[in-house]
Amino acid sequence: MKEIMAVIRMNMINQTKKALSDAGISSITARECLGRGTGLVDFKVLKGAENGYEEAISQLGQSQRLIPKRILTVIVPDTLVKKVVTTIIKTNKTGKSGDGKIFVLPIFDAIRVRTGENGNDILDEE
Amino acid sequence: MLLIRSIVRPEKVDDVLAALMGAGFPAVTKMNVLGRGKQRGIKIGDIVYDEIPKEMLLMVVADKDKDLVVKTILKVAKTSEKGSFGDGKIFISPVEESYTVSSGIKEKSDGTLEEVKL
Repeated sequence: MKEIMAVIRMNMINQTKKALSDAGISSITARECLGRGTGLVDFKVLKGAENGYEEAISQLGQSQRLIPKRILTVIVPDTLVKKVVTTIIKTNKTGKSGDGKIFVLPIFDAIRVRTGENGNDILDEE
Repeated sequence: MLLIRSIVRPEKVDDVLAALMGAGFPAVTKMNVLGRGKQRGIKIGDIVYDEIPKEMLLMVVADKDKDLVVKTILKVAKTSEKGSFGDGKIFISPVEESYTVSSGIKEKSDGTLEEVKL
């Protein structure tokens, strides 16, 4: 089984939740977080650079402003990874930087607290 | 690729982020977390505080960058030369694939890139 950790835009969370449940993935965990990506993000500096101030242009890429984002965590069997990833990409893609990242991590076991069962049976099925 | 989850003191976060930026790692995600460590929280008089606020930093880096990132965080997040309890922890786990949403490009752990067909 795999953990899919997706960092997405704040305002995309509702569409993503809906798209995932339409695709048959019912169990997700979401949290708020702050983050920055490989791109630069200081809007003041950006605006200054657009207006052609050399000082602002020299500062591009040095800022460290953090942007609010949502983290979605989904644990699924190996067979569903592709479906989840394509669903998330499809709903979140605007083509601009800041759309987010998706990471796939291995998970060794999953256990249901209520009954103590473990393994793939307790996760979403296709 | 490796996921580096580090838990640091809230007052050290800005320093750590600046140091990471300086070391060439702009991409970080930050979360507020509450937790306790091996010392079972802080005991002041009769009161035990076992949910201590910390910040968790998540970053995914290439295998070869791991040591540099870990060293950078360790250097900056320490409270003094000796360090003290509560300075935090760093956990590292493997990442098999990563996708950039805007371009739909998939990166495998060995660094190969391919486009995802939707």
